[in-house]
Amino acid sequence: MGLSSAATIPSDAVKLCVFDRTRGQREGEEVEKILFFHPPELPLGDQLSVVGLSEGLITFTRIFSPDAACEVIEAERHSHVFYQAEPDIWMVMVVERNRELEAIWRIEALRSILKEVHSLFIMFFGSIRTMLGKESSGSVVRSHLYSFITDYLFDFSSGKKLQLPTFRDSLKERGTVQMLTVGREAAVEIQNNKNSYVFLYCSILNSSGRLCLRLKSLVRVLESCAGSVRCHSLILFHDLLVSTSLYPDDTVNLYTYATMRMSPRALSSSSRSWSYLYRGSTAAHLTTGSVLPTSSSSSEHIHRSRDTSPSGDDRYVIVRPLQQDKWSKGKDGFLVTERWSSDAQTLNSSIPTIWLKQTEEMMYLCAHQHKNVTIILLIPVTSINSVERDIPIVKQQFLENASLKILKLEEKLSKGWGGENAYHVSGYRYLLVDGDRNVSRASPAAKVTTLAKESLVAMCKLREEVDLEKSIMKLDDERCEKDLEVCIRAKNNAWVIARAMRGKELYMVLEKANETLLYASEAMDKFSNRYCNGAFSLD
Amino acid sequence: MLPKCPIVPRANGYPIVPGACGFPSPMASDSVSPSSSSDSAYDSAAYQNPNPNPNPSDKPINAIDGQLMSSLVLADSTDSVNHEEGPPSSVNEGDIVDANVLASEESDRTVMVEVDVREEEEEEVQRSEAVVVEERETGGGGGEGEVWRVNSELEVDAPDSPNSSGYAGERGTSSASSACGTGEDDICQVRDGDFVNGVVESQAVWIPGKRHVDEDDASMSWRQRKKHFFILSHSGKPIYSRHGDEHKLAGFSATLQAIISFVENGYADEANNGDRVKLVRAGKHQVVFLVKGPIYLVCISCTEEPFESLRGQLELLYGQMILILTKSVNRCFEKNPKFDMTPLLGGTDVVFSSLIHSFNWNPATFLHAYTCLPLAYPTRQAAGAILQDVADSGVLFAILMCKHKVVSLVGAQKASLHPDDMLLLSNFVMTSESFSPICLPRYNPMAFLYAYVHYLDANTYLMLLTTSSDAFYHLKECRLHIEAVLLKSNVLSEVQRSMLDGGMHVEDVPVDPSPRSGSASPHLGQHSPERVREAYTGTGGPCGLWHFMYRSIYLDQYVSSEFSSPIGTPKQQKRLHRAYQKIYASMHDKGFGPHRTQFRRDENYVLLCWVTQDFELYAAFDPLADKALAIRTCNRVCQWVKDVENEIFLLGASPFSWWGKRIEKCFAEWPVGGLIAGHLRL
Repeated sequence: MGLSSAATIPSDAVKLCVFDRTRGQREGEEVEKILFFHPPELPLGDQLSVVGLSEGLITFTRIFSPDAACEVIEAERHSHVFYQAEPDIWMVMVVERNRELEAIWRIEALRSILKEVHSLFIMFFGSIRTMLGKESSGSVVRSHLYSFITDYLFDFSSGKKLQLPTFRDSLKERGTVQMLTVGREAAVEIQNNKNSYVFLYCSILNSSGRLCLRLKSLVRVLESCAGSVRCHSLILFHDLLVSTSLYPDDTVNLYTYATMRMSPRALSSSSRSWSYLYRGSTAAHLTTGSVLPTSSSSSEHIHRSRDTSPSGDDRYVIVRPLQQDKWSKGKDGFLVTERWSSDAQTLNSSIPTIWLKQTEEMMYLCAHQHKNVTIILLIPVTSINSVERDIPIVKQQFLENASLKILKLEEKLSKGWGGENAYHVSGYRYLLVDGDRNVSRASPAAKVTTLAKESLVAMCKLREEVDLEKSIMKLDDERCEKDLEVCIRAKNNAWVIARAMRGKELYMVLEKANETLLYASEAMDKFSNRYCNGAFSLD
Repeated sequence: MLPKCPIVPRANGYPIVPGACGFPSPMASDSVSPSSSSDSAYDSAAYQNPNPNPNPSDKPINAIDGQLMSSLVLADSTDSVNHEEGPPSSVNEGDIVDANVLASEESDRTVMVEVDVREEEEEEVQRSEAVVVEERETGGGGGEGEVWRVNSELEVDAPDSPNSSGYAGERGTSSASSACGTGEDDICQVRDGDFVNGVVESQAVWIPGKRHVDEDDASMSWRQRKKHFFILSHSGKPIYSRHGDEHKLAGFSATLQAIISFVENGYADEANNGDRVKLVRAGKHQVVFLVKGPIYLVCISCTEEPFESLRGQLELLYGQMILILTKSVNRCFEKNPKFDMTPLLGGTDVVFSSLIHSFNWNPATFLHAYTCLPLAYPTRQAAGAILQDVADSGVLFAILMCKHKVVSLVGAQKASLHPDDMLLLSNFVMTSESFSPICLPRYNPMAFLYAYVHYLDANTYLMLLTTSSDAFYHLKECRLHIEAVLLKSNVLSEVQRSMLDGGMHVEDVPVDPSPRSGSASPHLGQHSPERVREAYTGTGGPCGLWHFMYRSIYLDQYVSSEFSSPIGTPKQQKRLHRAYQKIYASMHDKGFGPHRTQFRRDENYVLLCWVTQDFELYAAFDPLADKALAIRTCNRVCQWVKDVENEIFLLGASPFSWWGKRIEKCFAEWPVGGLIAGHLRL
């Protein structure tokens, strides 16, 4: 399955904390800073020690680097990965480096976990700072973070351990979308809708482009489901994105969530995954408990983080969007979820709401599934006067106007799609990332596992180098993008290649390649020309 | 307490440029003869200053004077200038000189360390090949003729100075613009302001010893320095800081100590083994830690050098400290954790700053190999033979060097010298001059050896290392003997000629791939007439080759080409140095052993690195260079190196036992005598 790749790290070997530097300024009140800590059972003193060291180093590094404070601390046995989620709100992950060689990871891969969970949190609840502004004692934030992050980490759990990405995941990129492209020659095409901000990712499915037209017509129907107000939509086939009308950032968040909890695979947890990004299929087999605060699926009640939560009003109902088995498929094809309410406005509503980052709009989220096609429809909250009355009307509209089109689309997609190994290119193990649009494509996970450890470690280190170059580039604030080409012949004779050009990155490992550099670079060019529209060719 | 070395500052800080502001050093008195060489870009800047102020009482000079004086606090100048003292008195017998013992007898010792206040790293001094040497022996040594050389590194950049590298020509035009760039590690904002009058106030002449002593961690300028180095004790006491006054940095030092101990104590495992912080990264900044027993070393840098390189630099810095003090300094900390080490290192700032400067230009700092001065094989043989003579008479190592390049070296049976030790030793010697106890950290970190050092000319110096502390007179005799032979056999003039000619020029890489016969192989520096150097002017060698370095693994030696015009400025050279450093780190990642080949293209270069069991080749090309041609050129470079290996490497002349075996193996495997094991396949 290629999914048991992650190193097994005892749960206490991974610490994750969220703290607010503006709180607990007075001596003795430092505990106020802590908004979340995993594992929660760690003694308070140890929690404070992690926060203290982190904060100390943030202050220290600002002496020399006022604009970019501490990002990582590497010690012999631990790595501390920092992420400043919001002004003065920091997330720090501490990972233990055990003696085994498995404990080789890319700092950016770990940081992307922090970024992802924070982005998802914001999508559902808005920013931590805003939440703290509404309720300054911090108990609301703490209970939300506690259930949310714990639910999120559950996906990484394996028994009592957390499986974090290691060097074996070097050909994966979190925080990106995987597009459906049936024909290998297909490239992602962006269309800018005339009079709006909408980006439409559309995969050209065959040379005639007929499917593309079909898709566009469906998107138009979805747009107008709520009458005059325009709705947004996201269409997935299996765990692959087919189309979106959202901005890239919002697309990534929603796509991530959909593949985690709503796609057919996520709903039938026993099914195995082929998505290269899918993490922890094992999680589904586990009984909840070790990591999850409570195992009852309907226990959306208070999860007060123990020590770090001051006494306060506990009568908040905590929504847990990341809870396992949150969604199920209804008879009409719509996905249903249980209670979803976080504030008085939508109390008792079972229609989830999310925030769009780009437009700062709040949207109702409806999801429909037909076989392997999942359609997410976003309806502006402002356009709905009564949830009980209006949403069913929208749904009705949807079924009436779109059902047939969806049926046809599903048929065509299923017919044209090559299956789990659709993106396998024999001889190559690759990862292709389009940083501007947050899109990635990669060799199937099962194929990547055939690579030797040496090759994967070499790729991991090479990616770390590229990460560093990129981050320095970013700090220089030169708008020019990193243009880099590195071909390494590793000790085991594998070619490990990275090429970054015009915001796109291509990584590949060629194990059974000829020994010459020219051969390797020709193989790279061939790939670039055939599958990337020559994006990485020099001329 | 450990031996304290009275310091005799050299007169280098003074711009002894005829017609400019030439005046003798007040400290060096009559024993000083200004010699001139070209080591400082700022010297050059001073020279080029259209209106240099001849008034010695002018402000910059006063400022330097003040700093010079302040750097002398520890040295009793009147005593230490008294060179007639002759050989230092015996301190201790035996091989291992215990630091504590030494300390107790410190007062007896009159070890002369003459500090060569050469460039600070930030000056980004150019290593110009145009060296005009002027050396006068002082009469101070009396009948002994012992030279306590005061080597002014100020150059007389005479327009007609012989120069084959085209390098000096660059300097005239680039010095003004590169002054900021050359001090890449410095803060440019500060500098820009200083440039208003065409004179960089603080840098028109370089400052002896430590600079920026007025700064501390509260100063913005201090915080903006690109590269800091700190040495502190485990109790948080500052020992050395590259920038700023250690004493003012006590608070900062304590913070560093706190970070180290916090990580150590905060993450102890079940067995109570503490964790060790290695690196903190923040934006472009890296804070690198190295814990060596009671000594903590920290580098804070935004130079984008790889972590492994910075850590290697801390290791060398530690080695340099050990070279001066031996590891027995640890015992002082065992007795008293709050032991203050600064007095022991008094006056050695310049040794450290010179080492730190070498991190910017000297490939030996990361290659762990040394480089030789290119010389005709018989010439080197002649030098080796005479050194061998003295090595048989109780000298542990006899080393003849020219700047940082080895002319020849021999060692007693079974004694081998690590390239890192050579780097540290030559760095120490070039910044100070003495018969002094030193320790070779890779040879025996606990023991002192005695180094007799004598400059034969401005750049060429002889080092005789012995275990005997009272061998001064004997070593002096050895030296006189060696010197006479070297003069007679023209080795010294050959050495000087080689310095002027330079070594391998990329412009001379043979274009014709046909194998050269032995006789056709040209000597280095004698460019074949058909080669029209001008054809490549501004473009480097064939196929866009700009530079290369070749490291022979068996020999522990490397050779690097002279800088050609595409990398003519110090800024460009430093960038290339850093690029090499980066690719070295990338190739030598710990774990599965070194990679075999790497091709890297970015906006600055195409870099090709090729590592085999026998050698490593690093080559830099124009970023637009063609891959296939680049590979072909690399093969030619390797072939060329093989053709001239007699001249660029020290081969088989050493009695080092391990070395002999290596050479044997080397030649057994390739009967042709080649060092090239194969061809980089296209």
